[in-house]
Amino acid sequence: MASIARSSLLRQAASAPKFQQSVIANAARAAAFHTTARRDLLPPPPQVVKGTVNDAAPIPPTSPSHGSYHWTFDRLVAASLIPLAITPFAAGSLNPTLDALLCATILIHSHTGFQNIIIDYVPQYRTPRSRKAFIWGLNAATVVVGLALYEFETTDVGITETIKRVWTA
Amino acid sequence: MAALRSSSARLFGAAASRPALRVAAPAAVRGMAQLADGAEAHNMASDAKANLKTFQLYRWNPDKPTEKPRMQSYTLDLNKTGPMVLDALIRIKNEIDPTVTFRRSCREGICGSCAMNINGTNTLACLCRIPSEDKAEMKIYPLPHTYVVKDLVPDLTQFYKQYKSIKPYLQRDTPSPDGKEYRQSKADRKKLDGLYECILCACCSTSCPSYWWNSEEYLGPAILLQSYRWLADSRDERTAERKDALNNSMSLYRCHTILNCTRTCPKGLNPGLAIASIKKEMAF
Repeated sequence: MASIARSSLLRQAASAPKFQQSVIANAARAAAFHTTARRDLLPPPPQVVKGTVNDAAPIPPTSPSHGSYHWTFDRLVAASLIPLAITPFAAGSLNPTLDALLCATILIHSHTGFQNIIIDYVPQYRTPRSRKAFIWGLNAATVVVGLALYEFETTDVGITETIKRVWTA
Repeated sequence: MAALRSSSARLFGAAASRPALRVAAPAAVRGMAQLADGAEAHNMASDAKANLKTFQLYRWNPDKPTEKPRMQSYTLDLNKTGPMVLDALIRIKNEIDPTVTFRRSCREGICGSCAMNINGTNTLACLCRIPSEDKAEMKIYPLPHTYVVKDLVPDLTQFYKQYKSIKPYLQRDTPSPDGKEYRQSKADRKKLDGLYECILCACCSTSCPSYWWNSEEYLGPAILLQSYRWLADSRDERTAERKDALNNSMSLYRCHTILNCTRTCPKGLNPGLAIASIKKEMAF
């Protein structure tokens, strides 16, 4: 509403020829003095109260694989990345098994990380179809990256050696 | 004219003048208020010692839903106002604009009614001092990312529904051995310190970005702190059930340790630590 009002004000102020006027008006309608474009990604929905105001909020079904196990697994993977990342550089040796382990852990770590982002920003209760699409997109990406890393580890020099070469390049 | 007098004089004067006004002409009261408003502004300009401070208040009226929310400025002389933001708000409502709406009750930080966003921080208006040394305007908004009922009054329906869902009461089947109250050791009682003081003002929950995005399913720091209060209670016998109720992807694990909750808590509590304790207890 405000942008329409503003553009009409602008039209009154600018006493230009007609074609110029329409150009200004159109530009004003599009931009309306905003420095950034308006993006209505997930606008706030109208308030919905499930049940009466005196009912308790519904308790979701217990599922440790999405709750405590998932969280614990996340932390263990994240913590194990620290020694895995330091060891090859500290020891100076390039053990292919260790290298593969590092690759796999990074892959799992980023997979669960992106999963958390999707759960946060593509909520199941508001956008169930987008949620499904995002989750399967992530699964597909993880599989592709996993295959690529497997290929890289088995037929090429491996991730630690690559970083070493890029570092000194 | 009421605004021109000192507060003590107003106390004595009000009893005499107000009933008379109301009986004579109820419609004239608002006219008087507006007159007083203008007169006060005039008086402030002439008063050299006046310590003026401008307050910008978020205004939105549900009776006119097509009108956009707006900020309205009110200028007060701090020499005639109490030290806290709530004093200023009450003075604005009493003397300048009676339509300003906000919740308040105890004015000493124990009821949690006057939680609002003051200069960008969620806090209780009654515990927030007006910074008198700088002349900058104070901006006062309702709690962020809440549905607004009117002006500075947020709708906390979902917050209270979630509080109810964690069953915030002692659940116990075995009677106490001597038939008297359920006793605790001093060490067990100490575990509840820093948890039982929470007044549920919703400052922490509404400062949490994760709660902004997912308040429909994520419980938020205030409710999780209360959840931990009952998990940590040695007398409660439903610990396993309570943990099961939190063991899903949304209720608890949307906490990403942002710690806005701990930073903003006007009572100095640590909801972030309580949530971390729940996570640790549930980890293995």
